[in-house]
Amino acid sequence: MTTHPRPTLAAPPPARILPRNNQRLANGMRATFVHAGAVPMASVRLVLRTGSADVPANQKWLDRFTHEYLREGTTSLDASSFADTLAGLGGRLTVDADEHTTVLRTEVLAERAPEAIRLLADVARHPHFPASEAERLRNDLRRNLDLALAQPSYLTFAAFRGALYGDTHPYGRVIPNPAAFDGFDATASRAFWEAETGAQRALLLVGGVFDEAAAMDAWRGAFEDWESGPAAASNPPTPATTRSIRLVDRPGSEQSTMYLGRSVPEPTHPDYVPLEVTNSLLGGSFHSRITMNIRETNGYTYSPHAYITSRPQDAYWIEVADVTTNVTGPAIREVFAETERLRAEAPDLEELVGIQNYVAGSFMLRQATPGGILDHLEFLDLHGLDEAYTASYVERVRAVTPDEVRRLAEQYLGTDAMTIAITGDRSVIDAQLAEYGTPST
Amino acid sequence: MVEHTASGGSARVTTRESAFGLQLPVSRHTLANGLRVVFSVDHTAPIICVGVYYHVGMRLEPRGRTGFAHLFEHLMFQGSESMAKMEIAQLVQQNGGNLNGSTRYDFTNYFESMPAHTLDLALWMEADRMRGPVITQAELDNQRDVVKNEIRVNVLNRPYGSFPWIDMQAVAYDNWHNSHNGYGDMADLDAASLEDVQSFFDSYYSPANAVLVVVGDFEEAHALELARRYFEDIPAAAAPGSADIVELRQEAERRTSNVDALANKPALAVGYHVPERGSREYYAMGLLDQVLLQGEDALLHQELVSRRGFTGGVDGGINFLGHMHNAQTPLLWCSELVHDRDVSADAILEAFDAVIERVRTEPLPQETLDRALVKARSSLYSTINDTSYPGYGRADLLASFELFEGDAAQVNTIEQRFTAVTPELVMETAREYLRASNRTILTVVPGVAEADPTAETGAAE
Repeated sequence: MTTHPRPTLAAPPPARILPRNNQRLANGMRATFVHAGAVPMASVRLVLRTGSADVPANQKWLDRFTHEYLREGTTSLDASSFADTLAGLGGRLTVDADEHTTVLRTEVLAERAPEAIRLLADVARHPHFPASEAERLRNDLRRNLDLALAQPSYLTFAAFRGALYGDTHPYGRVIPNPAAFDGFDATASRAFWEAETGAQRALLLVGGVFDEAAAMDAWRGAFEDWESGPAAASNPPTPATTRSIRLVDRPGSEQSTMYLGRSVPEPTHPDYVPLEVTNSLLGGSFHSRITMNIRETNGYTYSPHAYITSRPQDAYWIEVADVTTNVTGPAIREVFAETERLRAEAPDLEELVGIQNYVAGSFMLRQATPGGILDHLEFLDLHGLDEAYTASYVERVRAVTPDEVRRLAEQYLGTDAMTIAITGDRSVIDAQLAEYGTPST
Repeated sequence: MVEHTASGGSARVTTRESAFGLQLPVSRHTLANGLRVVFSVDHTAPIICVGVYYHVGMRLEPRGRTGFAHLFEHLMFQGSESMAKMEIAQLVQQNGGNLNGSTRYDFTNYFESMPAHTLDLALWMEADRMRGPVITQAELDNQRDVVKNEIRVNVLNRPYGSFPWIDMQAVAYDNWHNSHNGYGDMADLDAASLEDVQSFFDSYYSPANAVLVVVGDFEEAHALELARRYFEDIPAAAAPGSADIVELRQEAERRTSNVDALANKPALAVGYHVPERGSREYYAMGLLDQVLLQGEDALLHQELVSRRGFTGGVDGGINFLGHMHNAQTPLLWCSELVHDRDVSADAILEAFDAVIERVRTEPLPQETLDRALVKARSSLYSTINDTSYPGYGRADLLASFELFEGDAAQVNTIEQRFTAVTPELVMETAREYLRASNRTILTVVPGVAEADPTAETGAAE
């Protein structure tokens, strides 16, 4: 059988960043328009700087309730007319939300972008919150909570957040008290929405294929008379700096769902981009060290992955894996061993260059689709970063040295301060966890 | 590092509502060994996506070896003549790309989205593994463990893990090829040997049973030269005969109920056999899916969610492992929902039936059909605009049409075929295919007592 010599490639070309049209209105509302791709679709996202962290402690999930309520129409379109109208543009409403961001998002046929912009504006500015629908939406919320509580990933996430941020900070207090749902109604949603939205906390993103002049006109017309609204509040957390273990008992569980992680510098910090490179080498890519170890060598798990997740002035690194119950202890041991090895020994230059190419290349792939570009713009906005971050990103990735990777691992990823959260069968795994500390529940 | 190019501002805007908004360039070639090659050039971003589709999936695996097509997919990452275990993943990554593979009913695919300058390498890699996996017993054992963990995380350890896809197909289909669990029984996975690997490869992974598709920023003449260089000397072997996957017309409603030990809410799914792929009725069924099930304007959402409050959402569609364009029939159109214990499945079915009965007995208003057409088009474009693996959505459509309709260029007729559907055809299709006797009803009985979130949150509040 013939084999062919492995081809050698030319050096990669510089990253191509598509031009952005950034605009601002007198009331503080901003917009960015980016043409990308050839598929005749436009992505429209209304990014609002409001989220679960803005909800009072005794009203946990009022934000989710309100997002569902937004679908019930506007002061000029009832729920079914709203759904029909948006569907007629080729779109449907998606609401993505986290602690500080609520994104009203839709993808529509290219020529319908201006109408989609006006519709999203109508939802954000003139929601109807009909009283007749409150009981049904409260019931949906109760059902969703029950369903979430049956999911090991949700239970583990909640345990991890509680251990890392403490049970009183909004980032750490994940699971709501359903008794509070009884008080959620049109009045509560309207009050929350009015207090936590406004032009100065809004950014419109339009990407894909669309008529720019018409989109800009639609944006101005729909938003220029919006009140600036109240400024967003800030309440940075104080993450744990010592190791703790939380265990959620799930008798008979086939696997242990585990989250191992700790606080790291956030995106405006100079170490953040080098840490992304470090993460990709350690656990954040298919060929990373942790994945090669616990999946490809040991077969403990199917989908281990590590990543850095961030909020303003806050970030943490995390390794997530669902491992066969009887190897829970060994899996943690291997994750820790890989982490400690990187803290002790700088990687070979060849391994690092491969990872740098991966991080740079993935960045470029994301800049090739409307969805990837808009995700990046949301990230920049959340952290107060601008085009300079995008422009210098690949250069910063390529500037990382082997010793810097070791230094970052040593400084930020010590396993002695990892927060551990596990959902699994306590009767089987308790003994396996003894070497990492005493679990709390 | 930032290069502002003219291409960003030159994107064309489609303003003609009735025109077909998208025509993908397609060129097709067949190499001497029977490998079909499909190219679709798109210079808007400096990336490529390379996919190799083998015309074998869960439906074709041997009895006693359930789950084997999927296990084999994993093995295709474990090394070949010129690449060590997982080296293919390393090569893709260190050249700035992302890769994956998947096992479906009728095909198994391997694909990578890469920077455009890596085309030569991507084709070399895929040709190397088309020559066959070179793996050890240890590598087989390792991936068997990985696959078992995949089944645990996606099915066994997760509430509603087999609902509805595995449970529904077990009841709705009579033909074993369609009805068996494609993830496999653990005992069958345990029995898989290196001999099975070789024989499966020899049977199904020949060039004549595969399609190579390249989309993105490249020159066709150059890509064809590379494809010939790396693939054409892979020995030809006869393409396997296709399995008999035919289902006879269903004549009586089926109903089954399963206990899910991890679920805490009841669930309901209703699955109907759909018309044959490519037929006029198939496209009418695609529009019925839009009218009834997709989005919040859909009739089932309006009735079951907005009006009755039975559930927070009704999900589903055609093809559990994809969409209506990337599988061959038989397929099911399935609606599924989770509901509260104080409502019976029968009460929900009664409301469901009233909606279905309407489309079976009254022609759709033209306005509703027009909206369904817009939704179908938008859904097709969103598939092409894949964000996770740029270029993959387009590659997948082209490969599917090449495999299932014999011509990738047929992808450009999708919109035309939807447009040709009339309200009368929709009603006729609904009358024949949305018959109660053509469906299977599946219910999930929760095995977990009603959750007591107050107890769970005692510490959190």
